[in-house]
Amino acid sequence: MRVDLDTYHELLETLLRNKTRSFLTGFGVFWGVFMLVALIGGGSGMKEMLNNNFEGFATNSAIIWEQPTTKPFHGFRKGRMWVLNTGDLQRLREQVPQIDVISPMANKWGVQVVNGDHKFNANVKGLLPDYAKVEAPKLYYGRYINDMDIAQQRKVCVIGKKVYKSLFPKGGDPCGQLVRLDSVYYSVVGVDYGGGSMNINGSAEEAVCIPLSLMQRAFNMGDDIEMIAITAHKGTAISDITPRIREVIARAHDIDPTDEKAVMVFNTEVLFGLMDNLFEGVDLLIWLVGIGTLLAGAIGVSNIMMVTVKERTTEIGIRRAIGATPRTILTQIISESILLTGVAGMSGIIFAVLILQMMELGFTEDGIVQSHFQVSFWTAIGAAALLAALGVLAGLAPAARAMTIKPVDAMREE
Amino acid sequence: MQPIMIHLEGIHKTYAGAQPLHVLKGIDLDIAEGELVSIMGASGSGKSTLLNILGILDDYDEGDYYLAGTLIKNLSETRAAEYRNHMIGFIFQSFNLIGFKTAVENVELPLFYQGVSRRKRHQLAMAELEKMGLTDWAQHYPNEMSGGQRQRVAIARALVTRPKIILADEPTGALDSKTGIEVMELLKRLNREERITMIIVTHDPGVAAQTNRIIRIKDGVIEK
Repeated sequence: MRVDLDTYHELLETLLRNKTRSFLTGFGVFWGVFMLVALIGGGSGMKEMLNNNFEGFATNSAIIWEQPTTKPFHGFRKGRMWVLNTGDLQRLREQVPQIDVISPMANKWGVQVVNGDHKFNANVKGLLPDYAKVEAPKLYYGRYINDMDIAQQRKVCVIGKKVYKSLFPKGGDPCGQLVRLDSVYYSVVGVDYGGGSMNINGSAEEAVCIPLSLMQRAFNMGDDIEMIAITAHKGTAISDITPRIREVIARAHDIDPTDEKAVMVFNTEVLFGLMDNLFEGVDLLIWLVGIGTLLAGAIGVSNIMMVTVKERTTEIGIRRAIGATPRTILTQIISESILLTGVAGMSGIIFAVLILQMMELGFTEDGIVQSHFQVSFWTAIGAAALLAALGVLAGLAPAARAMTIKPVDAMREE
Repeated sequence: MQPIMIHLEGIHKTYAGAQPLHVLKGIDLDIAEGELVSIMGASGSGKSTLLNILGILDDYDEGDYYLAGTLIKNLSETRAAEYRNHMIGFIFQSFNLIGFKTAVENVELPLFYQGVSRRKRHQLAMAELEKMGLTDWAQHYPNEMSGGQRQRVAIARALVTRPKIILADEPTGALDSKTGIEVMELLKRLNREERITMIIVTHDPGVAAQTNRIIRIKDGVIEK
C-alpha cells in the first residue's frame, strides 16, 4: 500500500463517521481478547495457587497409617485397633525394594511449647532426617534434623513459622536457644517456613519437629509409630506397589491383607493426577471460551463490514469509475477491518494485563508474589498476531463483496 | 481533419439473462479530437450502454474500440481502472460526488488513485476549482452546495487528470434550466478553449443542438 497520509486519514474518517457502530463492533473483539488473555492469565494464576498447596510435596509418595480392622482374620474379630511399629520399617525396606525413602512419624497434638513468657500450643512430630525427602522443609534459619541428632539422641527441635513468630516475637535467629516441651528443654536448630496446605498430621507452620527416637522415649510411646511416609523410586508407580505394601504390613499384624481400611495407604500420586486432569480440562475450557468469544467478535466485525460495504456501494462505484483499482478497494476494506480489530483488540490486551496486574498485586504478601497471574510478553505478542490475522480474515468476505461492485452497478443504484 | 480520438467498429453487446438482450447491434463511429458530440436516443435504445463502453465501465462482445489509438478490449479490471483514471473524465447526471468529502477532496480523489503526492494534488485540485469559480467553496461538503455548484465540482473532478475525453451522462438532467444553460456554456467553453473531446448523452434537443454533431441511436444502431 502506498504510504500516504490521506490513506490513514480516510480509514479513520470512515470508522469515525459511524462512531457508535464502530464502537459496538469493536467491543465484541475487545471483549473476546480480554476474555482470552484474562482467562489464560487467571487460569495459570489459579493453577499456581493450587499448586502452592502442594508445595514441597514429593509427587510419587504415599502415606501409610493404621485404622481399626474391618475384616475378621486369624481368629480376630473385625474392629480391632492395631499400631504400626518400628519393625514395619525394616519389613518394608527388605520386602518392597521399589520403595526409595521410608520415613516414620510419631505425633502428639496440643503440646505446649514455652520460651520464657511466650507460649504456643504446637503439634509435636517425631521424625527422621529422611522425612525432608517427602515434605521438603523451607529452612529460614538453621538446619533440619540430621543423623547425628538421631544417633546421639540430642534434644533438638525444628520449629514451624507460627511457632517461631509466637515464641520469638522480636525475630532474629533463634538457633541455639532453648524451648520447653512439657518438662523437657530442647535446643532450637532450625526454623521451617514451609507450609503448603497439604499436610501430614497438621500444618508444618504449627509443628515442632524432634528426632523420632527421642519422641518415642520422651512421650512414652515404646516403638509405636503414627504413620509411615514413603516415596517410590523414579519410574515406579505407587499404585503398583500398594497391594504389596499392604500385604507386608498386614501379615505382621495379623490383618487380612485385603483389608484396605485397616492399612490405609494414601497415594498422593492419585491426587496429583486428579489435579493435572482438572487443569487440562480447565485449560481446554479457557481456550474454547476465549477463542470462541474472540471469533464471535471477529464475525461481528465481518458482518458489520458487510453491511457497510453494501451501504457504500455507490461510493465504491464512484471510486472505481474515477480510477480506483480493485486492489485499492480490497486494501481499503481490509485495512478498515484490521484497524478496527487491532485497536479494539489492543485495548482488550491492555485492559486484561491491567486487571491481571491488579490481581497479582492482590496476591502479594510481604513483597513476595504468591501467584503469578500476569501473562508473558510472548502470550501478548501471540494474541496481537492472532488479532491481525483475524482482522484480515474478517475483512476478506466484505472485501470480496466490495470487489464485485462494478462502477456501472453503482450508477444504477440511484 | 483532426486526428481520430474514438474509433468504434462493429460493436455488439448482449446482456446475458433468462432472455438475452441484444442491446448494441453493430455500432460504427468515429469521433475526432476536440469534437463536441451529443448522443441522443429514446430510453432503451442502447445509448447508456454505448456510453458505458466508451467509458470502459463495461465490456463489449464483438468489434473493436480504439481510444486515442489504444485498443480497449478484454481489459483486466486493474487495467480498465488505470485507463479510466488517465484518459476519461466522467460527468454524471446525479453528480456522484462522495458526500463525506469536501469539494476539494472530491476533486483530489482521481489524483490520489494516480499516486500524485499530497501537496501536488491539492494544488492541482484548487487550480481546477478556481477555474470553476469555486475557490471559496473548496472546504464545503456537497450537501452544502447548489446543484450547479455540485456539477461544477464534478466537472473539476473530471478535468483534473487532464483526460483525453469527457463523457457526460445527462449533465443538465438534474438541474433547472438556467443552471443547465450555465453548465452547458461551461462545457462548451472547455471544449473550445482546452480542445477537450466531449461526448454528451442527453434527451434534451436543446442541449444536443449546441453540439457540433448529433448521433442518434435507435434500437441498437446509429441512425443515418
